[in-house]
Amino acid sequence: MSRFFATGSDSESEESSSADEITPKATGTTFNKPNKEAFTTNLILCCPLRFRFEELTNIIKTIRNAMKIRDMSKCLEEFEQLYRAFLKSKTIVDKEGVPQFYIRLLADLEDYLNQLWEDKEGKKKMNKNNAKALSTLRQKIRKYNKDFETEIASYKEVLNSSTNVISLCRCQDEESESDDDEDSEDWGSDSVDSGGESEDNEGAAASLAVVFLKKYKDGRRKRHKKIEQVEEEVDEDGEAEEGGWEKVKGGVPLVKEKPKMFAKGTEINSAVVIKKLTEILQARGKKGTDRAAQIELLHALSGISNENNLGQGILVKIKFNIIASLYDYNTNLAAFMKPEMWKKCLECIDELLDILFENNNIFIGENIAEDSENLAISDQPFRVRGCILTLVERMDEEFTKIMQNTDPHSQEYVDNLKDEGRVCGIIDRLLQYLESKGSTEEVCRIYLRRIMHTYYKFDYKAHRRSLGLQGETKSEQDQEESEGEDSAIIMDRLCKFIYAKDRTDRIRTCAILCHIYHHALHSRWYQARDLMLMSHLQDNIQHADPPVQILYNRTMVQLGICAFRQGMIKDAHNALLDIQSSGRAKELLGQGLLMRNMQERNAEQEKIEKRRQVPFHMHINLELLECVYLVSAMLLEIPYMAAHEFDARRRMISKQFHHQLRVGERQPLLGPPESMREHVVAASKAMKMGDWRTCHSFIINEKMNSKVWDLFPETQCVREMLVRKIQEESLRTYLFTYSSVYDSISMETLSEMFELELPTVHSIISKMIINEELMASLDQPTQTVVMHRTEPTSLQNMALQLAEKLGGLVENNERVFDLKQGVYGGYFNRGQYLAKIQLFEYLESEGAKKSQY
Amino acid sequence: MCFGPFPLHQTMASRKESAASGSSPLETPVKQIQIDGLVVLKIIKHYQEEGQGSEVVQGVLLGLVVEDSLEITNCFPFPQHTEDDVDFDEVQYQMEMMRSLRHVNIDHLHVGWYQSTYYGSFVSRALLDSQFSYQHAIEESVVLIYDPIKTAQGSLCLKAYRLTPKLMEICKEKDFSPEGLKKACIGFEIMFEEVPIVIKNSHLINVLLLDLQEKSTVADKHELLNLSSSNHLEKSLQLLMDRVDDMNQDIGKYNTYCRNLSKQQQQKQQYLQRRQQENTQRQSRGEPPLPEEDISKMFKPPQAPPRMDTLLIAGQVNNYCQNIKEFTSQNLGKLFMAEALQGHSS
Repeated sequence: MSRFFATGSDSESEESSSADEITPKATGTTFNKPNKEAFTTNLILCCPLRFRFEELTNIIKTIRNAMKIRDMSKCLEEFEQLYRAFLKSKTIVDKEGVPQFYIRLLADLEDYLNQLWEDKEGKKKMNKNNAKALSTLRQKIRKYNKDFETEIASYKEVLNSSTNVISLCRCQDEESESDDDEDSEDWGSDSVDSGGESEDNEGAAASLAVVFLKKYKDGRRKRHKKIEQVEEEVDEDGEAEEGGWEKVKGGVPLVKEKPKMFAKGTEINSAVVIKKLTEILQARGKKGTDRAAQIELLHALSGISNENNLGQGILVKIKFNIIASLYDYNTNLAAFMKPEMWKKCLECIDELLDILFENNNIFIGENIAEDSENLAISDQPFRVRGCILTLVERMDEEFTKIMQNTDPHSQEYVDNLKDEGRVCGIIDRLLQYLESKGSTEEVCRIYLRRIMHTYYKFDYKAHRRSLGLQGETKSEQDQEESEGEDSAIIMDRLCKFIYAKDRTDRIRTCAILCHIYHHALHSRWYQARDLMLMSHLQDNIQHADPPVQILYNRTMVQLGICAFRQGMIKDAHNALLDIQSSGRAKELLGQGLLMRNMQERNAEQEKIEKRRQVPFHMHINLELLECVYLVSAMLLEIPYMAAHEFDARRRMISKQFHHQLRVGERQPLLGPPESMREHVVAASKAMKMGDWRTCHSFIINEKMNSKVWDLFPETQCVREMLVRKIQEESLRTYLFTYSSVYDSISMETLSEMFELELPTVHSIISKMIINEELMASLDQPTQTVVMHRTEPTSLQNMALQLAEKLGGLVENNERVFDLKQGVYGGYFNRGQYLAKIQLFEYLESEGAKKSQY
Repeated sequence: MCFGPFPLHQTMASRKESAASGSSPLETPVKQIQIDGLVVLKIIKHYQEEGQGSEVVQGVLLGLVVEDSLEITNCFPFPQHTEDDVDFDEVQYQMEMMRSLRHVNIDHLHVGWYQSTYYGSFVSRALLDSQFSYQHAIEESVVLIYDPIKTAQGSLCLKAYRLTPKLMEICKEKDFSPEGLKKACIGFEIMFEEVPIVIKNSHLINVLLLDLQEKSTVADKHELLNLSSSNHLEKSLQLLMDRVDDMNQDIGKYNTYCRNLSKQQQQKQQYLQRRQQENTQRQSRGEPPLPEEDISKMFKPPQAPPRMDTLLIAGQVNNYCQNIKEFTSQNLGKLFMAEALQGHSS
């Protein structure tokens, strides 16, 4: 670097030219001086901002010195300083790009350190401090250099290639440099630098150093000319021989040279382009390949082939590869595409599809061998290796990834979501294409993609149409749209095709689940349920892979919600029970990770789980889900509790609901309910007393409407259904709880109390009597329910419970006795039991007394 | 429900000797308890003012021993305080109170404590511990249990209890393991002994009472004839059931312990047998026998569950049963009476 400046300064100014003379001779100690001078003179003139760079170069200089004398601790110290200085000059760097000299130092330093590291002998000789500093520095620079990977890589490439050139010129050009041997070394490396720089100048990078170099170069041209001449010669040679230009590029992807992809004058035909393409592709996946540059190259290539009308075959091939390398851009599977990449990708696929649609004579397929490809001969059908379906599938996955990685509450998400239309469009087009050309399997796959983009969307148009509201207030455009096919019909067609034709189980399973989901979403409960039952998925879903299981869970939940809307409370409860009882609904539906599991899984697992998450726009509202579950649990549980108040062995229908009730009871101060859960708990309490009006007001009110009920498409129907259910269940609860205080009760009163029609009340009570839940009979002429009073009183119930418990106690006691005696039984003569027997006697006699009155 | 053991002041222990020297320590020092009417009224008043529902009130009894009867002549309530005020010094308060009482020439000897109860549930660990420490320090001390609910029903319910000497022994040794209790031959029936109570009033008060009796109307006594029973019974049953559940759990625990113990015993036996066999074999071969190993180290006996709580629960269950029995027999009597009355009037 400094040497380079030293030579550069010779023609720069008068005073430094003297120093120049010293430079080639005296290496090492003095050669830094002129450099500095050159710098200062330059810098002061140029720009005050650039004083930062001076600082950097100063430090770099010291580092180089330290490197010379192998003073590692000094090196480390200086490196840290350098790092800080670089951070300070960040603003300039951002504007101007990373200065070449900086990159050069980083690269050199790393090489140097690695070299030292390898040198075991030398390491042993080093003193402790130095050795320590060496290892720290090595680690640091490794880490640090990661940020500049591309720059360093390109620098090294340039270094290599120009060395090649130099060595070439050495052997070809007999008259070697005028300098002595020792110097020619320097010279060599010098020219390497200059070569790199000159290329830089031609390239786009306009770093500060380059600005310098330009100036010095003019002066230096004389000396440099020689090399250039050589280079030209080489070029000419290369052109003379066919394809000689390859030699220069020499397998190394020459990033900087992209504008001159083909040597001037080369006749561009398909063979050349294909060759070039394979060459670019060979670099793919190799270390040190600049992926961004590769994409650029491919783009340029496609432009060239387009310009030269090389035929669609090549264009298709190039497009395939562009898309593939776009996908390649992120080596990490978890990382998602950058927006511009994504846009490019979409465009490319669109263009590719355009070409495919326009040209019927292109055959694409994975199984076409490279050799049998036909890209050029246009009178025969083109044959191109590659699979557009895979590309589109990958695109879809990338889209999901982008959605997963965007904050769902930001405008960005909305913007990203707008691409969904394009994705769907592409899938639709591909679907059309494959329908005419693809194999059944491919059609199945693309159908599934289509289904995956359809199943979770509520078809508002169809909904409106079914309600007969079409075209009332809607604009014309909407009307036009609504004339499109119903999503239900599409789903039906696609799914049925898959059921019939698919041979892989997974696609069929997914299709069935999506179909059910779609049915459920559109309140076609019976179809959804029948499909679910017919598919027998419940039996073997645990063997499926996690994404399918998540889909299954989503489907079950949607099914449950659908049942709820239809008023099938029991079915709704059953469908939701599994998901809700685990308390991990969020995780099971793939809508987020649970915090408490964090320590149980490692980072790897977490990544995998994150990849499984469903994008936000497909989420099922968890609060809605919980509310539906709790309300259906309430409608089932409260009458059940009332009916089995004294049953010692009564089972809970819903544990979660009971948990909520308990939480509600534990509250020291009961304010008006705030959250959805509190509303349900308060409603449950009201229902327990048979107070349906309060219950109703708790379940359906402003707050709950905005939180839950308005999320349903047919809100009004659901609310009406709910009111009705609440009335019915409250009536049942009332009868269970208070039947013991009535001798008879008029059905008319009941129907007034619960605002139900007389026949409904009649049917409910009849059902209860038939099911032996209510010990009563109906008196037809007076329209009253006459209680039989056969249920035990609460005291009797308690005594029965106690008896049961005592039975258990005795049994337990006898078991203890067993252990001691080895004989079972005969341990019933203690006082406490006698006392209890007396109690029962009393209770019986009291019952007898009462019946006497 | 109960507060912790009632604190005693150290100086009381010194009184023990003087009390013990008066009567022989072997036989029960108290055969009868004579309570001043004032004490009864004070206890009732205390509960009415501070206790409600299942809340329990406690206080200190003062009096002196005359031959084999304990005369309780005065008492003072123990103030209820929350756990927040840490500054409150209970011992200090008692001492202060007794000193003040002495100043006005009232018996100031500590002879026990009283406690209210809720449906007869007082047999608890806290009561046991506290009564033990009392009886340990002052031999003649008793605990008076006042049942406000029964009293409200028309019959004053005040009972005096003392720990039996056997229980005192066990508590002293703090050995609540199954073996320890077995050795002591203690059952729930003989944990507490009830001491008969006599309420004694001065003649002047008796005269006043007789006078009041004349004046009072019949309606004031109707509580006694209340026929409703289910409420009281339900509550008692509920409590009884809870206790039975506890009992069941304890038995379950004991059961597992027994099983574990016997299993281990078996293992131990097997091990010993094997060892013996090996030793005889070695002897026949002329080798020295295997060294003795500490078997108790190899087979650590399982932790025995303490049985005292079980005993207390049993005692409590017994207590509930007695209560229910009493209540039901009374109520049956009332019912028959009512029936007869009805028949007569119709």
